[in-house]
Amino acid sequence: MDEKKTAILAEIPRLRRYARALLRDKDAADDLVQDSLERALTRLDNWRTGENPRRWLFTIMHHLFVDQMRKVSRRGGNATVPVEAAENLPSAATQQDSFAVRDILDALEAISPERRAAIMMVAVEGFSYAEAANILGIPAGTLMSRIARGREELRGLLDDAARRRTFRIVER
Amino acid sequence: MTQREYTIRDIHLALDGEMPAEERADFEAWLEANPEMKAKNARFTDDARRLREVFAGVLKEPAPERLTEMVTEGPPRIARSWLAGRQSAVAAAVIFAAGIAGGYFAGSSGLRMQAEAENELAEKAIGAYVTYAVDRGHTVEVGGTDKPYLEGWLSKRTGLKLVAPDLANEGFELLGGRLLPGAESPAALLVYKDQAGNQISIYMVAEGEKKTRGTYTEKAGGPTAIYWLDKDYGCAIVGSLPQERLTEVAKSAWKQLVAAGAAS
Repeated sequence: MDEKKTAILAEIPRLRRYARALLRDKDAADDLVQDSLERALTRLDNWRTGENPRRWLFTIMHHLFVDQMRKVSRRGGNATVPVEAAENLPSAATQQDSFAVRDILDALEAISPERRAAIMMVAVEGFSYAEAANILGIPAGTLMSRIARGREELRGLLDDAARRRTFRIVER
Repeated sequence: MTQREYTIRDIHLALDGEMPAEERADFEAWLEANPEMKAKNARFTDDARRLREVFAGVLKEPAPERLTEMVTEGPPRIARSWLAGRQSAVAAAVIFAAGIAGGYFAGSSGLRMQAEAENELAEKAIGAYVTYAVDRGHTVEVGGTDKPYLEGWLSKRTGLKLVAPDLANEGFELLGGRLLPGAESPAALLVYKDQAGNQISIYMVAEGEKKTRGTYTEKAGGPTAIYWLDKDYGCAIVGSLPQERLTEVAKSAWKQLVAAGAAS
């Protein structure tokens, strides 16, 4: 197998992690990764040898994710829902998750996809502001405000979740 | 030393590794002097750690084969003859269109990728349902009483290993089926009815590009399609039944179709 393909294979775990954060549903996330890989392979020439494929792949995935969100919002309330998500909520994996994990996932899902992407890019994927802004195709200032607002929002949601849980415990 | 005025913005910069190292000590001192900011910094730092922890497990999961194969074997050929390599495939696309009033279907986590092929498939299936399943007088061409004949005929014409699932447990009885024109090959439509008179239909066609699944509603209150597609076949289910019931019916049908395909 050629060098490029080996390098792309090595990025799959990270792409899956980021997709999971964006979409939560495992199958939907892997579908996004699969579409990204497919697109990447048809455009191998766009990727210069020697360059780390990570940024390139994340950019491809980001574009696909944006397209997907546009389609969903165009369709309004009739957005599609993965069968998996519709039939097993909470999913088996989610049930095993601790409250803390579920709170994080719920909160992340509740904030806007733009803020979610910005936070994940820097806080989990470890991209610099410059890299993340480049991948997301936005000015660094916009990235920063998404991160700042997203973090505040996330914290607010986590506080709410913790409060609700406290009430429940008290009520018992 | 003149301490510059820090703001909450700097908390994010520091947390994300964007603060110059020489400012760091200054910044820490500022935090110490501002308990409120210090607390915020602690919370954001903790949230970032939790986020990393929550997703750390994904990195350790083995990558699904469909992803690694995409890289090692290359993207699927664009042009594919509709029967190529699908001897063991079950059904191209199975779509249930269920006709019960009320579009009880609010998109909950609706960030699902939607390719045009899926939309097209779902729209065709809903179209078939709207045209035939609701036509009480002329719903089917061949009745469901002779099931083996119906299955044989539809299998032969569509090129699918087609079975008419038994949905009695879900309260639906097979009315029969009909053949429909399709883009590359004919499509099959099976229609079922329950005691309350609700009809659902299964649409199957030997088309499919890639593995995907989802739910699709054309317009509010209209029938919903639950579909499955795979590289060379697919299956999907549609209806305006309450979501839970439709999902149940879809699961039962899909299981039977898979079993029938695997058995051959």
